[in-house]
Amino acid sequence: MDILTYLQGASVQFGPSGHERETAEWLKARFEPLCDEVTIDPLYNVLATKKPTVKPKNGGHAPKILLCAHMDEIALMVVDILRDGSLRIGNVGGVDPRVLPAATVTVHCRPDSGKPQNLLGVIGAKAPHLLTDEERKLNYKREDLYIDLGLPVEKVKKLVHVGDLVTLNGQTVGLLNNRAAGKTMDDRACIGVMLEAAERLQHLSHAAEIVFACTTQEEVGSRGAKVAAHTVNPDLAIIMDVSHAPIPASRPDTTVPLDAPAATYGPFIQYKLLARLQETASKNGIKLNAEQAERSTGTDTDDVQIAREGVPCVLIDLPLKYMHTTVELLDMNAIRECGRLCALFASEIDEGWDDELWI
Amino acid sequence: MDLKTLCDMQGISGREEKVRRVVRDACVKAFGADAVALDGLGSVIATRKGSNPKKPRVMLAAHMDEVGLLIVSATEEGLLRFRAIGGVDSRVLVSKRVRVGYDTPEKPSLQGVIGAMAIHQQTAEDRKAVLPIEQLYIDIGAKDKAEAERTAPAGTLATFDTLYTPFGEGCVLAKAFDDRVGVYNLLRLLDAPYEGDLVFAFTSQEEAGCRGAVTAGYRVQPDIALILECTSANDLGETPEAQQVCQVGQGVCVSFMDNASIGNADLYRAMLAVGDQNAISHQIKQFVSGGNDAGAIQRSGAGSLTLALSVPCRNIHSPACVCSLKDIDSQEALVRAYLKSI
Repeated sequence: MDILTYLQGASVQFGPSGHERETAEWLKARFEPLCDEVTIDPLYNVLATKKPTVKPKNGGHAPKILLCAHMDEIALMVVDILRDGSLRIGNVGGVDPRVLPAATVTVHCRPDSGKPQNLLGVIGAKAPHLLTDEERKLNYKREDLYIDLGLPVEKVKKLVHVGDLVTLNGQTVGLLNNRAAGKTMDDRACIGVMLEAAERLQHLSHAAEIVFACTTQEEVGSRGAKVAAHTVNPDLAIIMDVSHAPIPASRPDTTVPLDAPAATYGPFIQYKLLARLQETASKNGIKLNAEQAERSTGTDTDDVQIAREGVPCVLIDLPLKYMHTTVELLDMNAIRECGRLCALFASEIDEGWDDELWI
Repeated sequence: MDLKTLCDMQGISGREEKVRRVVRDACVKAFGADAVALDGLGSVIATRKGSNPKKPRVMLAAHMDEVGLLIVSATEEGLLRFRAIGGVDSRVLVSKRVRVGYDTPEKPSLQGVIGAMAIHQQTAEDRKAVLPIEQLYIDIGAKDKAEAERTAPAGTLATFDTLYTPFGEGCVLAKAFDDRVGVYNLLRLLDAPYEGDLVFAFTSQEEAGCRGAVTAGYRVQPDIALILECTSANDLGETPEAQQVCQVGQGVCVSFMDNASIGNADLYRAMLAVGDQNAISHQIKQFVSGGNDAGAIQRSGAGSLTLALSVPCRNIHSPACVCSLKDIDSQEALVRAYLKSI
């Protein structure tokens, strides 16, 4: 898979939390050639199943593995149309208001009649020379910013409705050293990891049934994953989400290096499964760093772990810089290596994988 | 020369050569090589000799340069520290893409991004305080200091990575409208009918403190100078009316005063009358702010009558400036009509 091409395609799909249908359909088409069955559930989760290619070694129960990464993106919403035709904005997920001044956005209009229409918008703020000295030291608050559509107010009122969704624009670009930057790398880059794993599994035999779940509504609380984990009913799960790579302002012990995936340790992570993952990595020369989560992981893991009667989980983090901006920056080699790790790990899960899991 | 080409060009103060080249060529084509000079600051001065020496000597000026970023060092991690050339509010830089270096046929510019700490990792203090330019950096993906310094040594320039694009109804979005709209209109005015001497000055380094206009004004010594500029509009987001500068779409903005100069009062009234008589949409600049080449030209040498005519621009000095095509046209039309009136 050409990772940059995938990232460029994935990052522009429309998919704010709760509105992921278009992204789901795009992803379904990516998984279809690689899996036996791909469905979209009522929450727009994409569930792509790859059936076992070999029988369990003693003819018993084939374990089921859930791999999971979320497809939804953070976004904005129109909350008011002002008299001058500009729009006030609200949040769908954690958009950092610092990224907004002079950002370009797409307003997704759903007029009462006629076709939905996408409008280009620019986020404006009070000009700096009109601010007081005190105001100049403070970041703009989201409530103070507005979207300019370049349209007369009558036209805006005809096209735009309160509640219309607004996505951030930002083309994904390749940088030096096989790095890339763009929007929605969180977490569509990790779906790229799953596609990379699915591709590699075409050439590996596996006794387990492997289900790739592209989940929805993670940014508003892992709501898609909760339902996906119920439906899939896995024996074990690998969750993949992004984490923070170091930048000059980082505080100690809050980051992992950019160039390799990292595995999380902590109470929400099944420790023996983690050890197994680390062993697979070291056996195959895959660099795997470690990251702590002393409580909630802040990812789909939190909900997958407690689905039905409980699911042993591992969490793999794909580090990136500048999370929740439109220039989330990552190392494409880390995506490739992470995909290789997932494929190898899943291919080695066989009957008896949990014999000594808890004691 | 179309506006898109001019806006998409890279030309930061002191490094206007790309704009200079096309402007010089257009002027040479219009008036012949002898009529076109480059002065000691790289401004292009094109003189169209008049047939009637009784008419005032008129200078039309627009600046070629734009605001941008100057790389000053690389960190151990391979990130590029920078300073702003011209007035760039650091708040518009976070989460934006830039082109590092100037494009050449042999070597395209490099893609870079300006990131900042993720919202998840910010303290309450981080969220409040504006990140100053000194704490921002450009990430080109370099692995370490050596690679960064090799690829983008100190002195490398970076421009906003924005391409000119139609926007809304009759508007356009681009970087560098300030002041490529002026350059664009000056080029359109090369054929404007006028019997007196008409001098076109494409100045350099306005954003670095109106440097080019000082020497251009000195060289030209006009009787009357019209400065074709771009000004902050600040007309949206329910800005109190008293703080709005001008309205995008309501025509060229005639300025009685800004922070650098007071427009000549007679010229100001004459200009409004020309606008009214010719039904050219125009408005009065409602708020005293900014400053431009008019200040430098007004007081260079023995002095001259100056007036700034500005195209309203939203988000000026940012990667996403918005102007109205009608306003751009009205700037050109007003100057043309004024020349006819004197």
